[in-house]
Amino acid sequence: MRVRHGELLLVMGFTGIMVTLFLAWEWAPSVSIDAFESPEAQRIFYWHVPAAWAAFIAFSVLFIGSALWVFKRSPVGWRLHVAGSEASLACGLMAVWSGCVWGAAEWGTPWDWTDVRLNTFGLLTLLALFLVLGRQSQPDGIESRDTFSTFGLYGFVLVPITYVATRIWQIRHPGPVIGGGEESSLSSDMGLVLLLGAISFTILIAGHMIMSIRITEYEQRLERLQNKVDGRI
Amino acid sequence: MANTLLELEGVTIRRGIEIVLSNFSLALKSGQCTILHGENGSGKSTVIEAAARLLPMEKGEVRHHSSMVHDSEGRRKSPNFSFGLTLQSNGLVPSQTIQQHLQMVCTLSQSEYDLTSILETYGLSHRRHDKIAHLSGGQQRKVSVISGLIPAMLSKQPRLVLLDEPDSGLDDSSIEVLKTHINQLRSAGHGILIATHDERLFECATTLHDLEKESLQEPDKCEPWSDFGIPKKNSFLSLKMGWKYNASTLNSIQKNWLASLLVIGSLLALVEPLSINDQDVLLMGFALAPAFTIGLVGDSVTSMLHEQRAIDWWRAQVQTIPNSSIESFLSGCILTIFSMQIFLQIFDWRIILIGGIIGFSTTFCLRFLQQSTLRLARSNAVFIRLLTPILILPWAVIVEYCARL
Repeated sequence: MRVRHGELLLVMGFTGIMVTLFLAWEWAPSVSIDAFESPEAQRIFYWHVPAAWAAFIAFSVLFIGSALWVFKRSPVGWRLHVAGSEASLACGLMAVWSGCVWGAAEWGTPWDWTDVRLNTFGLLTLLALFLVLGRQSQPDGIESRDTFSTFGLYGFVLVPITYVATRIWQIRHPGPVIGGGEESSLSSDMGLVLLLGAISFTILIAGHMIMSIRITEYEQRLERLQNKVDGRI
Repeated sequence: MANTLLELEGVTIRRGIEIVLSNFSLALKSGQCTILHGENGSGKSTVIEAAARLLPMEKGEVRHHSSMVHDSEGRRKSPNFSFGLTLQSNGLVPSQTIQQHLQMVCTLSQSEYDLTSILETYGLSHRRHDKIAHLSGGQQRKVSVISGLIPAMLSKQPRLVLLDEPDSGLDDSSIEVLKTHINQLRSAGHGILIATHDERLFECATTLHDLEKESLQEPDKCEPWSDFGIPKKNSFLSLKMGWKYNASTLNSIQKNWLASLLVIGSLLALVEPLSINDQDVLLMGFALAPAFTIGLVGDSVTSMLHEQRAIDWWRAQVQTIPNSSIESFLSGCILTIFSMQIFLQIFDWRIILIGGIIGFSTTFCLRFLQQSTLRLARSNAVFIRLLTPILILPWAVIVEYCARL
């Protein structure tokens, strides 16, 4: 029997995320009541941070795919672009939505238009939404691939800005929880659940991207066959 | 030796997923008329649009008067000399009158000219002050064809003319007039490239080209065109035309101003400004919101030019297409004065100036986003405005700065 890696990874990733959610609710220690307005809402962090992590991986795939298409005209590059944009949108929305829920509980407002991290990450998610909806609105062709890949390529500049935003211009979004110096220490139990979440989300989007690449390949093959029937090739 | 007016060298172009032109070369010299013919989808219009710098190329280079104007690296340079262009979709702005449009084409060719005789030959002189939108399809086509011929008609020096299916929609008498004009202009040394199915125009050709092979022929002898224009220098044409387009349609009032006034009305419906006079940032945000809204609605001239592909006609002719930069700055200033009186009850020229700059720069960003998707088959359906929230953060920073002034 042929093993379908995409589906297998999706199931594994989904299971891992469910386990992460269970541990986040039932097992992970609660944060200090003094440090937070709404300590219980902090558990959203076990969903929010891995989703944001996975979104950054997806944005990187989007960048690599866009660059391969723009510079090499590689069909594989275009498939990576499609897969990367869809995965970026899914993970970006999960991170933004969970962040808004936490923001509403902790800050009293779901969004702050003056916070650089919030804005650049929100914009990356909107870029992914633009790439997905825009691609669906256009007939597939060199013009649309060039245009969307160029946006994917230049849009990636927001990724490093988003990453350093809380280190340089910390306004409302909390600073880094890992790799941010002395202030970013995390208890080992918390770190374990967070690690499990990050791995699960990574496996989930890997599965999603493998499936998306396969679907795009089928679409391209179908288009070629349709053109053959039309007598255009 | 005759000048080479147009060269396409090794041009490869894709449209959709297909390669429409592969390693295609063509040269058009002064005094030549080349007619491209062949079945639908063979690439005739693609050649015309590539020659007009409208299509991105996979490979190759396009030269006008031996100077590179477009290449596969994406470089686009303005042609040194104006050229005539008639696109398949007329490329007209329907809110202009015939007179206004054709005078604009003369201005673009850096000349003045009395259009009466040409309009009479095409039976349009009695409609010259009518808006293009009020003309029939055939009459609009005539205006588009005349626009394509004018740069050559005005010039004593050889000029390039590109006509894409000029015959479509024209009556028999107009076809005869067109044939005469083509022969006269060719005899005067201009170079003409035409894409057509109409065999009546084949008589004008020195070369018939089916995109695979070309055959030479001897066209009828004819007296050369001799009614030239008077040279007249013009600068800042795109800005002036943007202003004229807006002035004739009041499009920016209709779209941008209306949205801004609605924003002011909505804010007033929510809050009583005097009741929050201790919240400086909030009130400054209200005062600068109309200027921001003007920009977010987008460039009114750019959206007007999308009709009949006028935006492509302009892109072919100049580097900077007509825009509403002046209006967006002035509108930003005026609406900021208005909103400042309502929300802040003060008059500060620095904030008014900042309002103007917000209107101008937001419109500029929106125009940049709109123009970056012009290549797409359905550029109006592409959700590009999803990226506009990027402008909120800088606007909020400016509002905070202004509140401290």
